[in-house]
Amino acid sequence: MLRADDLVFAYPGQGEPYRFTLEAMPGTVTAISGASGSGKSTLLDLLAGFIRPTSGSLSLDGVGLLSLPPETRPVSLLLQADNLFEHLSAAENAALGLPRGTPKADGKARVATALAEVGLSGFEDRIASNLSGGQKQRVALARTLLRDRPVLLLDEPFSALDDETRKTTRELVGDLTRRHGWHTVLVSHHADDIAALAEAHYRIVDGRLERA
Amino acid sequence: MLTLPRRPLRIATATGLTLIIAALIVAVLWAILDAATGASGGSRVDLAHLLRMTALQAGLTMVLSLGVGVAVAWALNRLRFFGRDLVVGLFAAAIVTPGMVVAFGLLSIWGRNGWINQAAQSLFGFSFDSPAYGLSGILIAHVVLDGAFAARILLARLDAIAQSRLKVGQSLGLGAVQRFRLIDWPAMRGSLPGLGAIIFLLAFTSFPIVLLLGGGPANQTLEVAIYTAVRLDFDLAGAVRLALTQIAVCSVVILIASAFTPVPSALSRSAQPNWRDARPVRAVQWLVLVLATLGFALPLLNVLYEGLAGGLFRVLEQASFWRATATSVIIGASSAALTLALALVLALGRSATAQRVGRTLLGVPAYAYLAVPAVVLSLGFFLLVRALGVPSGAAAPVVVVIANSLLSLPFAMATLGPPLDAVLRSRGKLIRSLGLSGWQQFTAIEYPLLGRDIGLMLALAFCFSLGDLGVIALFGTQDFQTLPLMMYRALGSYRSNDAAAIAALLLIFTIAAFVGLPRLIERIAHAPRR
Repeated sequence: MLRADDLVFAYPGQGEPYRFTLEAMPGTVTAISGASGSGKSTLLDLLAGFIRPTSGSLSLDGVGLLSLPPETRPVSLLLQADNLFEHLSAAENAALGLPRGTPKADGKARVATALAEVGLSGFEDRIASNLSGGQKQRVALARTLLRDRPVLLLDEPFSALDDETRKTTRELVGDLTRRHGWHTVLVSHHADDIAALAEAHYRIVDGRLERA
Repeated sequence: MLTLPRRPLRIATATGLTLIIAALIVAVLWAILDAATGASGGSRVDLAHLLRMTALQAGLTMVLSLGVGVAVAWALNRLRFFGRDLVVGLFAAAIVTPGMVVAFGLLSIWGRNGWINQAAQSLFGFSFDSPAYGLSGILIAHVVLDGAFAARILLARLDAIAQSRLKVGQSLGLGAVQRFRLIDWPAMRGSLPGLGAIIFLLAFTSFPIVLLLGGGPANQTLEVAIYTAVRLDFDLAGAVRLALTQIAVCSVVILIASAFTPVPSALSRSAQPNWRDARPVRAVQWLVLVLATLGFALPLLNVLYEGLAGGLFRVLEQASFWRATATSVIIGASSAALTLALALVLALGRSATAQRVGRTLLGVPAYAYLAVPAVVLSLGFFLLVRALGVPSGAAAPVVVVIANSLLSLPFAMATLGPPLDAVLRSRGKLIRSLGLSGWQQFTAIEYPLLGRDIGLMLALAFCFSLGDLGVIALFGTQDFQTLPLMMYRALGSYRSNDAAAIAALLLIFTIAAFVGLPRLIERIAHAPRR
């Protein structure tokens, strides 16, 4: 279980600090909602390690995470946009998720498998800038598969997608989460995304997380 | 925030290099100051006059160039025609066009025996006083180069105006004057102080143009006076006084300029709606553009015509020409490669540094070379190698490469820094979260994205070095000369056909490098990915 216990953080000049307490179970999606500026992205930055809390604890299955820098945390990240490097192909982008030192042939096969799992077989050589919004998110998900980290943080990942693509990408995220046992934390202000995907739902009110 | 990937090796290497560059500045200044205290005897240098003259021509150049730049950018932004990209590219090349070549081209048009006087003589039976010499000549040459440079920078600002803003203006039916006042001017205004400071600095430290067109002591500037004091009058005390004055003034200008908004090196181009001005306004735009294009291109075309039609074969037969060409190319390539290595290490280190103070400290020594003009840096190195007991002839090739590289470094940093910062700004979180190694980050992400910028930087450094006269002027000998020095010597010994041929070849090499290198490097950088 991913557990954040009273993580306290305040930006310089901010009055009352954020205080976040949260639990996310494996194989489930935990949704976070709240008004603009309520601290949703701050919570994700704390979980990913981009900012450090002044106090509190964060653990995965009882192992503390706060001492780990972002690159070694057991966390993958999927943002609303800018998830890919536009000049690289789909396969090259996905391959960035492979562990260092993976043999080339093995890496190629694993990338092909991951792309197939997200429904992008045959797109290996397509340059990222030529992919649609939904395809880009799928490539980022393929990279997440290859990284094989147990926590997936999603920051409004479906916001830039049209309704149909949004629905299929959402289903893919739910399916991958269940099959791989990820602890998925989804930040969204779209009620339909939350309703369709989340097993648990927190709302940020006055800098604190409340069960919705 | 911890969004930047941790790159201690990059920061450490950049810090070490910064210290070396800073130590070199200190050593050069020490050599100059030491010579100043050790030099005996009175100097004949009239510092007040030189300062007045240098500031006057630089100030006038700045005002006129900005005026020309605004007008040409406005015209180019509005007009669409076949060959527009070529004209824009022509103005972009102004920054690397050797001043000597432009000065020579102007002489062949505006000089005593230039086209205009020949035409006046045959048509009306009299000739004019040549405006190509003295203050007017200096100003014309500077405005040709710096006006074109300003136009290119300001055009980028106009081309980056948001489409939505233009659509609103068009739907409101704004006239040409209102459009300029409400849309164009606000877009350009922010860049003018910084751009003006750069142009002032370029004119203040201009060497070959003043040397060729100054026409005597009355119009000498500090830079030329330093060269004269060292090379012709052997007045070391005077040269040192002038050098220190030059550094002090340039430092003040840079400090003032740093308070202004930086001039962007690259802006994204917005899709501009088809919004044409009224017919009379377009006529004015065409007039401005035709005059500016002729003003910039004619001297250069004339250099090509006279050079290629005149003494080309005679020059090609000279062994000294081929030696000078080889020297120029080797020095240009070496200093470009050194500039790339220095700029990459510094820019990668800076982009990996989150703290503002750290970024500033990693940039200051490199940017400080903006305050040290070529002739002054050359003088410093000249005195330094003398103090170390190294014969200047033996040190010359290394010193010329290092000096040219250091002089290009601020431009190289300004070219490579912003795109590197932009990559990390937009993808820093992602790179860090993926745990990419520094090498992976560079080879997979930064290098391919920087391909064109690296090419542009190499082209700038190569062209600056190729056209340099300020550094080589003090270190050059009969056996060690570059094309600009050979051209200057040919002019000095009245072999104008030789000078014309060398100028033409210098221009061809420069344009070829400026156009070809960015494309070549971009292809190499992207080749495995296509």
